Amino acid sequence: MDNSIDQIYQEALQELKAAADRQTVEDIRVRYLGRKGIITQFLRNISKLPADQRPAAGKQANQLKNLLDEACQETTHNLETVGETAAGGIDVSLPGRPAPCGSLHPITQINQRICDIFTQMGFDIAEGPEVELDYYNFEALNFPKDHPARDMQDTFFVSDDVVLRTHTSPLQIRTMEKQPPPVRIIMPGKVYRCDSDLTHTPMFHQVEGLLVDENISFGDLKGTLTAFVHQMFDEQTSLRFRPGFFPFTEPSAEVDILCVMCRGKGCRVCSRTGWLEILGSGMVHPALYENVGYDADRYTGFAFGMGVDRIAMLKFGIDDIRKFFENDIRFLSQF
Amino acid sequence: MKVSLSWLNDYVNIEMAPSDLAEALTMVGLEIESVSERYRYLDTVYVGRIEEIGPHPNADKLHLCRVDTGREQISVVCGAPNAEIGMLSPIALPGTEFPDGFVLEKNVIRGQTSAGMLCSEGELGLGDDRSGIMSLDPSLSVGDQLASALGLSDTVFEIEITPNRPDCLSVIGVAREIAAIQNSRLTYPDFKLEDKDNSISRQTSIKIEAPDHCPRYVARLLEDIQIKPSPFWLQERLLSVGLRPINNIVDVTNFVLMETGQPLHAFDFDRLSENRIVVRTANKGETFITLDQKERFLDAEMLMICDGAKAVAIGGVMGGLNSEIEDDTTRVLLESAYFNPVSIRRTTKQLGLGTDAAYRFERGVDPGGTITAANRAAKLMAEVSGGRAVGGLIDEYPGRQSVKSLKLSTQKTNRLLGTRLQRKQIENLLKSIEFTIGQKTAAKDKDTLVVTPPSFRVDISRPEDLMEEVARLFGYNNIPTTFPQMPATGRLSTKEINLRNRTRLLMNGFGFREAINYSFAHRQSGDHLRLKAADPRRQLVNILNPLTEDQAAMRTSLVPGLLQTAHYNFAQQIKNLRIFEIGKIFIDETSQQLPTENEVLAGLWTGSRYEASWHGHEAQCDFYDIKGVVEAFLNALQINDVQFSRLPENECTYTRPGYSAQILGNQTRLGLVGQLHPQVLANFDLAQAAFLFELNFDNLIPLLKDTTVSRPTPKFPAIFRDITIIVNTALETREIISTALKQSPELVEDVRLLSVFEGTPIAPGNKSVSLRVTYRSPQKTLEDEAVTPIHQSIADRLVKTFNASLPA
Repeated sequence: MDNSIDQIYQEALQELKAAADRQTVEDIRVRYLGRKGIITQFLRNISKLPADQRPAAGKQANQLKNLLDEACQETTHNLETVGETAAGGIDVSLPGRPAPCGSLHPITQINQRICDIFTQMGFDIAEGPEVELDYYNFEALNFPKDHPARDMQDTFFVSDDVVLRTHTSPLQIRTMEKQPPPVRIIMPGKVYRCDSDLTHTPMFHQVEGLLVDENISFGDLKGTLTAFVHQMFDEQTSLRFRPGFFPFTEPSAEVDILCVMCRGKGCRVCSRTGWLEILGSGMVHPALYENVGYDADRYTGFAFGMGVDRIAMLKFGIDDIRKFFENDIRFLSQF
Repeated sequence: MKVSLSWLNDYVNIEMAPSDLAEALTMVGLEIESVSERYRYLDTVYVGRIEEIGPHPNADKLHLCRVDTGREQISVVCGAPNAEIGMLSPIALPGTEFPDGFVLEKNVIRGQTSAGMLCSEGELGLGDDRSGIMSLDPSLSVGDQLASALGLSDTVFEIEITPNRPDCLSVIGVAREIAAIQNSRLTYPDFKLEDKDNSISRQTSIKIEAPDHCPRYVARLLEDIQIKPSPFWLQERLLSVGLRPINNIVDVTNFVLMETGQPLHAFDFDRLSENRIVVRTANKGETFITLDQKERFLDAEMLMICDGAKAVAIGGVMGGLNSEIEDDTTRVLLESAYFNPVSIRRTTKQLGLGTDAAYRFERGVDPGGTITAANRAAKLMAEVSGGRAVGGLIDEYPGRQSVKSLKLSTQKTNRLLGTRLQRKQIENLLKSIEFTIGQKTAAKDKDTLVVTPPSFRVDISRPEDLMEEVARLFGYNNIPTTFPQMPATGRLSTKEINLRNRTRLLMNGFGFREAINYSFAHRQSGDHLRLKAADPRRQLVNILNPLTEDQAAMRTSLVPGLLQTAHYNFAQQIKNLRIFEIGKIFIDETSQQLPTENEVLAGLWTGSRYEASWHGHEAQCDFYDIKGVVEAFLNALQINDVQFSRLPENECTYTRPGYSAQILGNQTRLGLVGQLHPQVLANFDLAQAAFLFELNFDNLIPLLKDTTVSRPTPKFPAIFRDITIIVNTALETREIISTALKQSPELVEDVRLLSVFEGTPIAPGNKSVSLRVTYRSPQKTLEDEAVTPIHQSIADRLVKTFNASLPA
């Protein structure tokens, strides 16, 4: 009896193996598992066995019945796929139906990365007007009227007292006017200077930073910018701080990074110096504290600023800044 | 500014190699822009030998020489009387640029080809002698470059001097920094001039009528001078920094300017009426002809140097043609003044006239340096002109200022810099650049230094200025790198920033590429967009000094920029565009100083919806494509209660009437969506239909929800029933749907538009509209019987409300 159910099962498997199409498989299934199928019959006959043999026989027969059912399904699926591949299938190399996919402007991508790095350090983002009072853009930042320092920035004028902001620095004053120390902000935004060539456009982007608190030192400025550069570029990108001049910082520092193209060997991008000037920075000038009513004896701080476009040019290997604002789709789609 | 290594060596013994010096100067704040070899211009000049001298067939005074250049024998036309066969002489080849600016080319001189030029000392800028060609040591090798054969080498540094360091706009100023770097001595030239008497005061006088503009005026007088070319050493110094020698007197003023940074002016004393100087401001409407022969129109704020009758110079800016040194000048009045920087700056800005002198005056020269510079120049002038200085000098000094000393705290210095400098270190660093340190204020105060900056350091006015000096001399790179303590009190991004970031990602998902256009606009941009006269977007913020016509104002709409971008891409054969921009627009408000700045999102879709591909035919995008983007965008932001209603025809300026919708939310206009007006397309030279949307972020932000409260998801299945009605084509489907939803029992979950159809068999002027109504109960599985009467009542209401019919 035991052997016979097993034998029936084995025979059924042999037949399945030989089956060449779905109908044959279906016939086999009906013959063994159908209402009048051999295994079905066998199961019905179990009740005629002695009571002590029934549970074991029933269990075995049910197992084989399930196994055979699965085997039938599997054979059918195999036959389906085998058959269809043989019939040619589809050309999987044909392109799929296009799903929409735009892109972010390269300046946006770099701007977000810069902001991400600083916000993770604990800086907040501040924003402000692009058409700005001379007071905020120059006067309060310690650029007196009729001072040659104003020549450092070719300014677009709207009137005697209103300019297109030449840097995002006016937000230093606007923010400090509004809140007491400590201040930890970065200020991304568009800025304007009347200049246009391979490396200058009349509009470009800056991110400015300001940190004012008790006991903030020039060493802290170095540390913060070093951490930034290491994240923006990589840990191998060393920095060089050298004296510079900005009316609103004292001491002021220009920050060079090791040329990311040649790693300091000297190339066209770094004018063979091995260094790239990417940041201006310094300790906040006490005149600014006086202008916003901070206690200059108690608080110290640093500020820094960088050109987003220039960093984007370096990161993406772009040699003409004007490409950013032509919006050629063949350019934009690369990013 | 250019300085040469050889000139610097006159004042400081330079121990470093030029490249190390360049690096060291950069690191103390004098950024070296370039380092070049001074004799680079001699690269194409070689040691040549004259092999043969023959007569020039067409000129008596010229010879035809055959010259061995070391590589070839060339034929050279030469007029020098001292040319001899076998003589070694410099041979310049075509391309050589001489110090006087002449560029040698291969020439035909009187019918004979000259493939080079045999040169005199004078021509090469190597000496005075112009009488004949230079005779070189016979032991030199023919074919060697002249500069290396003669051992000529000098390095020229181009330095970018920041506006705060006018003291470094001179060779001595740079030498002083080098001395500080090397910790070596600075040797000043002899600034003393012995005066036997004070006879100058009998011959001339100085009267300052505008002491605010001219705090100090020093004059010396020279007589019996003879105007001639300067001696070679003087010419050579000027040439080494890129200045052209003119004559001995003018050259001395330029030499002393470069040496000390003090601008000087030499007047022909005999051309000064009444032989005296009056310093006054100009009269309104006064005109003056400067040295460059241009007539200048003056205003009352400009400082004029005058004689007894007339103006002779614009003070500190440029001299006049009427008192210039001429070949027959025999007496010179030498001016060495300190002019007010602001006054000079205003004048140069006003006149658009910049000179080396004005550049220094507007940054601030050394008020204490006028006498030494005058002495130095007078002595040199006497020396090089055969004349003599009249005894004495005049020093009018109405604007004398007392020397100010500053208190510097060691502890505060260290706190700001993050250093641990000792008081003595700070003292030594400051002394190295000629700051004086006062005697101890009080015996107990070991912290404070009393520091007096030298008079040439006009930039030093606060203790922080001294700290910068300490830091830069100590070396920025020697300051330890630390990290500030940042308490964990960061704020979340503002709604504006979040919306902007979210928008960018959504637009990407809809297939739109981000563009960034200039924030500028053409002043006629309102016309280009056909804006009505009263449209606030005609209130332009105009730029007084624009770079170009089409950047003469700030934009009041993102649309022109997007259309220009489309135009640019069409020209690149890219016809299918989906672009967006987020940026500010600027509306001028007469009532306030600053314009209103609004952040706006705008998108443009033109060309295909699908490009032709194996999936199907190309299909052009239309109004409903761009509207779908807006709907999906607002939906993603969960701004749901939004209506699109037809923009009244008189408001359709840059969009096509009948194909434009305003987007309304919470009673405010959020923006618009529509097809561009054909005339506007034409204004931007575009021929292809384009669709756009604009959304004002300022109106969108109040509609953003801070939180979302979740609703239960349905537990029971829904029943879907369709209705088709035939209505007038003019009826907006929005009306039909809202009517279907109105007064419906809670079982009606949704009404959705299935299809809209016009054409046979529907009668003209009508359309069939099919709706699908979703019914669902929150309590149980609905039975058909429960839905049928409700569905019937909706159908009845639609028919009745819109006078609709049901399909046959």
